[in-house]
Amino acid sequence: MTKSTCRDTFVIHKKKLQNDYYSLVLGPLRKINHCQPGHFIHLQVPHTDVMFRRAFSIASIFPEQNALEIIFKVVGRMTRQMSTLKTGDTVNILYPLGKSFTLPRKSETSIMVAGGVGFPPLMFLTEHMMKRGYDPKTIHFFYGGRTSADILCRSRLKRTGVLFHPVTEDGSFGRQGLVTEPIEEFIKFRKKDKLRLYACGPEGMLKAANNLGLQYHIPGQLSLEAPMPCGIGVCLGCVVPLTAGGYARVCAEGPVFEVGEVVL
Amino acid sequence: MTPDLKVTIAGVEFANPIMTASGCCGYGEELHRVFPLKTLGALVTKSITLHPRSGHPVPRTAETASGMLNAIGLANVGVDAFIKDKLPFLEDKQTRVIVNVAGSKIQEYVDVCARLEDCPPVDMVELNISCPNVDEGGMEFGSNAALTEKTIASVKKVFTKPLIAKLSPNVTDIVEIARAAEQGGAEVLSLINSVVGAAIDINTWQPKLTNNKGGLTGPAIKPIALAKVDAVYNACTVPIIGIGGITCAADVVEFMLCGATAVQVGTALFIEPDVPVKIVKDLKTYLKQKGLASVANLRGKVRKY
Ligand SMILES: Cc1cc2nc3c(=O)[nH]c(=O)nc-3n(C[C@H](O)[C@H](O)[C@H](O)COP(=O)(O)OP(=O)(O)OC[C@H]3O[C@@H](n4cnc5c(N)ncnc54)[C@H](O)[C@@H]3O)c2cc1C
Ligand SMILES: Cc1cc2nc3c(=O)[nH]c(=O)nc-3n(C[C@H](O)[C@H](O)[C@H](O)COP(=O)(O)O)c2cc1C
Ligand code: FES
Repeated sequence: MTKSTCRDTFVIHKKKLQNDYYSLVLGPLRKINHCQPGHFIHLQVPHTDVMFRRAFSIASIFPEQNALEIIFKVVGRMTRQMSTLKTGDTVNILYPLGKSFTLPRKSETSIMVAGGVGFPPLMFLTEHMMKRGYDPKTIHFFYGGRTSADILCRSRLKRTGVLFHPVTEDGSFGRQGLVTEPIEEFIKFRKKDKLRLYACGPEGMLKAANNLGLQYHIPGQLSLEAPMPCGIGVCLGCVVPLTAGGYARVCAEGPVFEVGEVVL
Repeated sequence: MTPDLKVTIAGVEFANPIMTASGCCGYGEELHRVFPLKTLGALVTKSITLHPRSGHPVPRTAETASGMLNAIGLANVGVDAFIKDKLPFLEDKQTRVIVNVAGSKIQEYVDVCARLEDCPPVDMVELNISCPNVDEGGMEFGSNAALTEKTIASVKKVFTKPLIAKLSPNVTDIVEIARAAEQGGAEVLSLINSVVGAAIDINTWQPKLTNNKGGLTGPAIKPIALAKVDAVYNACTVPIIGIGGITCAADVVEFMLCGATAVQVGTALFIEPDVPVKIVKDLKTYLKQKGLASVANLRGKVRKY
């Protein structure tokens, strides 16, 4: 595992995406190329009443500017404070943390299953694969949300050339329903040994993606969330039960786990 | 002149008085990826038990005002795997190694310590007779003076290096337990372990920890810890390691003025994993400003009313 760095850095750019979603670009940071899709940062904002850090997936990196991007939704005290940050403000980050995704074979078709704030790591994975010369037509990006407002960065996703399948519960954008329904239809007509599943999103979505993987024998990976007091593997607070018995630390052995590896 | 941070406890010299607390630094490997462990006076491992333990179901932690609750449940790899897989890493890290040991029977403490006796990298053992998170064990020992004395005396028979007794604040009179530990043969006392606490989710009406209660740690408990260190310092003669809510060099100075020879930093590592580096630096600056040649000059110097 790579070394992690704990340091002060700056807000280079903050942008409101839509509704309660924001993008933050942070830097300058050394060894930015060590950040891989699936890795996360542990962030602390100064002058806050929130004592513990919060985890955020890396959404992209900008090697020329030695910067990284996170995308977050305002859900509580820390994220509310983060939404008030301005360019030039100092934050403290610990990075890169966790285990990253394993890339598919170029001959395989990837099924991305994204929901809510599970979208950023899968966008990073997708853009990373484009840079590595993957054919965009081998990536099917299924993106679920409650309403249209939950589907972020649409033009950015479309620019990559991947096949974009938005799904909303209220039908306000893309197909109506739950994201797992069109995925199952998609899988049924494919050779299962040529498929690869990547999922990150709310618990229900992860569970469904894990079940699809198991049911149709499709290998893949899930990126999990858990409350993380330390983020570096020392407190044992973030564990998830393993199918094989015992527990694994989401921050250290994860957040990326294989389909079937954890009990959801 | 640079002030001297070295401290000697029970004949063992430490490069500085800053240690990381049990359960907050794993077995050292993870922390070493953030800063070199030689920055530390010592690293105290997660509690080791005779057999591996997987711990309590999640949620195991909850944030509270100025602190956190935990009920990890002494999850650890067990003494044999610890010696085989974890201890070798610490061998060449140029920091002292203190192994924290827990058990639910006196014989378990004895068996674990007997195995650690032959491990050269182990400089001391800290007996966790005060963990609030196991039903059968821990606190039973630490809240009963006779049992405390007997546990320590039994371990002394098989373990010849210095022994630290880690005391619980969750007792009627910590001084009585401290004296019993000293009587049993503990060369050092460390205090405090976490303070028993609870938190409830008002939507589900369920406790925020599956263990229903847990141990409160972090800045919230510092005043409690200071008062206990002061009380024990005035009643006992063995050196004291102060623990509880330390986040900065100023906190360290407070503990030392109340009688601590060294300190352990726990929860603060979650907030700022490289905080020991800063504490060591700031402690030096403080001593310089005060014109003190050695950190030992602070010990017990609180000027009481
Ligand atoms: C590896 C990892 C990657 C992550 N990546 C991202 C990311 O890219 N973007 C992102 O936005 N988030 C991400 N998260 C989630 C983010 O870390 C959490 O949402 C974080 O807790 C937000 O902090 P907060 O202080 O704003 O909210 P908190 O106060 O911590 O609240 C978090 C959530 O819990 C709920 N909650 C709080 N207290 C209670 C309670 N007592 N009872 C019931 N519910 C409660 C809140 O309503 C809210 O929904 C990630 C988490 C992990 C572990
Ligand atoms: C997550 C966590 C796990 C802990 N595990 C142990 C343990 O295994 N054994 C032990 O003796 N103390 C354990 N402790 C207690 C600490 O060593 C220390 O006594 C306590 O946290 C107070 O110090 P602090 O306020 O600096 O954290 C643990 C504390 C925390 C927060
Ligand atoms: S958050 Fe502490 S071990 Fe994972």
